[in-house]
Amino acid sequence: MSVVSRLLLAEWTKLRTVPRWMFTLAAVAVLTIGVTVLTAAGTIVSGGGGGDEPSDLPANHQDAGNFRYQRLTGDGSLVARVATQADSHQWAKAGLMLRADERHGAASAAIMVTPDHGVHLQSRLGDTDIAGSAAGAPRWLRLDRSGTTVTGYESADGHDWHRVGAVEVAGLTGGADLGLFVASPDEVRIDRQFGGESMTGHPTTGEATFDGIRGDAGAWQDGDRSMPPEEGRVAEDGDTVTLAGGGDVGPTLDVEDRTRTTLAGVLIGLMAVVALAVLFVTAEYKRGMILTTFAATPRRERVLAAKALVLGSATFVAGLVASFGAFLLGSALLGAKGLAMPSLGDAGVLRALVGTAALLAVVAVFSLAVATILRRSAAAITVVLLLLIVPQIIATGLPLSVAMWLSRLTPAAGFAIQETVERYDTAISPWAGFGVLCAYTAVALAVAARRLNRRDA
Amino acid sequence: MEATIEVRELRKRYGDTVAVDGLSFTVHSGQVTGFVGPNGAGKSTTLRVILGLDRPDSGSALVGGRPYHQLRNPLRDVGAMLDASAFHPARGARNHLLWLAHAGGLAVRRVDEVLEQVGLASVARRAAGGFSLGMRQRLGIAAALLGDPPVLMFDEPVNGLDPEGVRWIRGLLRALAAEGRAVLVSSHLMSELEGSADHLVVIGRGRLIADRAVRELLAAASGDRVVLRTTHRLDAMTALANAGATVAATDAEEVTVSGMPAERIVEVLTAQGVSFFGITGHQASLEEAYMELTRDAVEFGEAS
Repeated sequence: MSVVSRLLLAEWTKLRTVPRWMFTLAAVAVLTIGVTVLTAAGTIVSGGGGGDEPSDLPANHQDAGNFRYQRLTGDGSLVARVATQADSHQWAKAGLMLRADERHGAASAAIMVTPDHGVHLQSRLGDTDIAGSAAGAPRWLRLDRSGTTVTGYESADGHDWHRVGAVEVAGLTGGADLGLFVASPDEVRIDRQFGGESMTGHPTTGEATFDGIRGDAGAWQDGDRSMPPEEGRVAEDGDTVTLAGGGDVGPTLDVEDRTRTTLAGVLIGLMAVVALAVLFVTAEYKRGMILTTFAATPRRERVLAAKALVLGSATFVAGLVASFGAFLLGSALLGAKGLAMPSLGDAGVLRALVGTAALLAVVAVFSLAVATILRRSAAAITVVLLLLIVPQIIATGLPLSVAMWLSRLTPAAGFAIQETVERYDTAISPWAGFGVLCAYTAVALAVAARRLNRRDA
Repeated sequence: MEATIEVRELRKRYGDTVAVDGLSFTVHSGQVTGFVGPNGAGKSTTLRVILGLDRPDSGSALVGGRPYHQLRNPLRDVGAMLDASAFHPARGARNHLLWLAHAGGLAVRRVDEVLEQVGLASVARRAAGGFSLGMRQRLGIAAALLGDPPVLMFDEPVNGLDPEGVRWIRGLLRALAAEGRAVLVSSHLMSELEGSADHLVVIGRGRLIADRAVRELLAAASGDRVVLRTTHRLDAMTALANAGATVAATDAEEVTVSGMPAERIVEVLTAQGVSFFGITGHQASLEEAYMELTRDAVEFGEAS
């Protein structure tokens, strides 16, 4: 047997033969899942989320607002002037929209004016965005459909047209709805205070008047998806149509990262990981067993490496049980309450779940290295928790910009691996954040190895 | 590998405290070497340096002619028990030996063999934290024996044992030496080594005080003293002092005489008509020999 494999076997034997350590590993999963279940059970879902409606809506996107349309059977075109637009929100939208059907999240494209950001041509709920001129209402807009290609135009006078761009809309195979729309995002207010934040979205109602409408065919139909529903209104006065509606068509930065919500219990499980990792080292120092360990293996950095590998792997496995368990159970509980929950196949979800296990594993190795440097349980646990948890608590009480730097520069950046959506307070991308934690861990390991070999045992 | 430990000019200080100060000695194979000195004399430090756990400031410690860290498989070359309680209390005795066997690349059957050897086979699965001091010593000894090494070191193995345990350890040490191993046993009580050590290395304040065979040491400590038992103590002392001997009253009916052989004492007393009822050559105990040695060391230390 090679030196490496027998050292791994020795450290694994140490880990598995102290019953309370195996209980602690199990507790990582139990605590994490338990906290998630408690949180989910205590979550009260208020308001209708349209949960029963069939939906293709991707996570963290909204597809609301008011829509008045004609049914197209093939290609077609619509022209209208946005005569006036209420300044309900800097990103309020008024313009022309083409969509495959009425379902939430259906394939769509739209050209619009906004109070503060000029003309935009968007598809995929804003994920594809082509900026036009900086003009606001009044503005002439035109939307042409040819197969799956949708082309947008704008004009100051209805004669001299300027092409904004064209987008390919996959899924636009058969007929389509082409019409006028208004939308207006929620006004988000965030109150940050120590220990948490409260975020409240206040609905705004967009309103715009359209005239000069030249559509191809058909009767006008109403497709109001306003949030809240009572805000949707349509008024016709001769050739002028006034539409009002609330809710946005596009990505939302104020939404909950629901994958991450189900993983909130990891913070508790993490405490167990830190305690276990620190004790895995300091218990040997406390009782002088480290002398036996180093007498058996005079190359001390090998002992450190074996400990790190064994503990990291064991924690990773426990972490997988914890993260998948918390996500699946949490999703089931919250889903049953009518919240739209992401599924395993959604963007970033697998990364967040496997990443959470990896996060716990790296934290274990980090704690192990700190414990090797300090040799004392209380000191090591305090230092690790200070570096990992306190930045997150303090951050909620600091101005956002300072909080973001804390979340980028401290080992707590590693928690970014749990993100599945970009939020207003996203400080660092998932992999970069995880990399920051790994860098801290690598440095701590290097210092630990150096001190092991330089100091008396 | 040659079964020896060589310590050469070893110096080690911790902060301001000099623990070992120019210590040199050799432990040979086939005998039990007692490593004796008061608490704090530097015994444990020396053992730690031999095991490569602490780095000496100068000098060297070689096992079989090599520094410890150059041994290819240390557990097969040197077995050591430094602290009888150096295990996790929640881990079973067998599992404690199991991880050590894995770390040393030793066969798992050795674990059961040494458990049998030290008499812990029946409690092998019990958590070591619940062991009595005697059982802990046995577990520590089992760990040292695991690699079947030619060199063995035990730090205070007799400490806190009951008489039966002490007898067992003496027998074990003798048996290990008889197998040709080099056995180093430290103790702060010379009496604990009585009947097991062949050779003694005595240290005080980190320095060598004596490095001699036990037989020689006892002879030197016994000196040429003779114990005389008489009811006429004063007459006897006067007669012997006049004849040139050094006398001391050591009990109500006992006089210790030195500087005069027993037959001459009998002659002098018979000539002077002083009766006595006993005369014996004095046989020093190891403890006495040790007290004498360390008393000198203490005085030396205080004078310097």
